[in-house]
Amino acid sequence: MILTGPEIFREWTSGRIKIDPFVPSQINPNSYNFRLGSRVAYYKNRILDPKVRQEILYVDIPAEGLILEPHSIYLGYTEETMGSDSYVPIIRGRSSTARIGLFVHITADLIDIGSYNQWTLQLHAIQPVRVYPGMLIGQVTFWCVQGEVTLYQGKYQGSKGPMASEIYRDFSEESAT
Amino acid sequence: MILTKTEIHREVENGNIAIAPFFPEQLNPNSYNYRLGPKLKNLHPAASLNEELMEEPATEIPAAGRLLEPGKVYLAQTLERIGSKKYVTLLMGRSSIGRLGLFLQLSADLGNLGEGHQWTLELTCVQPIVIYPNMVIGQVTFWKPKGEIMYYAGPYTAYSEPTGNLRPYGGVSP
Repeated sequence: MILTGPEIFREWTSGRIKIDPFVPSQINPNSYNFRLGSRVAYYKNRILDPKVRQEILYVDIPAEGLILEPHSIYLGYTEETMGSDSYVPIIRGRSSTARIGLFVHITADLIDIGSYNQWTLQLHAIQPVRVYPGMLIGQVTFWCVQGEVTLYQGKYQGSKGPMASEIYRDFSEESAT
Repeated sequence: MILTKTEIHREVENGNIAIAPFFPEQLNPNSYNYRLGPKLKNLHPAASLNEELMEEPATEIPAAGRLLEPGKVYLAQTLERIGSKKYVTLLMGRSSIGRLGLFLQLSADLGNLGEGHQWTLELTCVQPIVIYPNMVIGQVTFWKPKGEIMYYAGPYTAYSEPTGNLRPYGGVSP
């Protein structure tokens, strides 16, 4: 079951959903519109090897916008810190964002229950796209669960700003065991 | 409703969710991490919906890794057989993989109620990326449906190899 806009508002009021800052006008009939934070990151390397820790470089998005190029993956983040111990959040782009060929996440729309972050966005433009700081770029939905809840305690908990992939840790843990 | 970690585990033990092989440590708060299977196929450069055979034979992903190039679609497979006749399965990538610009599926994340098999993954990358066999690469979630249950009767669950389009002309006779 998906929460309606009024239910998202009610559960934000009761504290079971955290969205900070929260602006009631960003509520949709069954989702909440989130904003793009003011900087993006990109990888220093062109070829990405998951076994290797990848260095990232940051660039601030100026008020006049930043053009994202199709050949690079950019890591953005939500201006809002969001999460819930009661509902599973799922994120996606707004259709207005998709209509200009911009991916807001890459095949990873699922947020763990109990994960509180400025969520990292995986920005990918099919054609060059100009993005602006604070633009309404995507939506979050909230879903009811079946079963006892185990809260997220993973490696991205509490992250602020764009976070690079930490998958290299998988391989170092594997070789350590 | 989406199943939590404990509920996925319970329903695997009850036989209502098939995940094989299954390791409890691959459970997340509301999903299960699947691994990349050993086989990979390239699509022919000019694949269209109207061709019977659009992919090249499957090859093994070397233990030393395989470099994927942007602008191509590769068909891969989950290592695990995954399915459920009680819950609807959705498939996605891990955020750790999405952050590296690798798609695990292209716009088609929805599974059908029915028998399990090794799912075909549609890989495409934004920047060149190396993949390794058995790496933990994506996640599946399980959802409780509303309504009378109807099982999948299409062609794809019969295949555990990376499988290309089996519905030429979009499944409509020319």
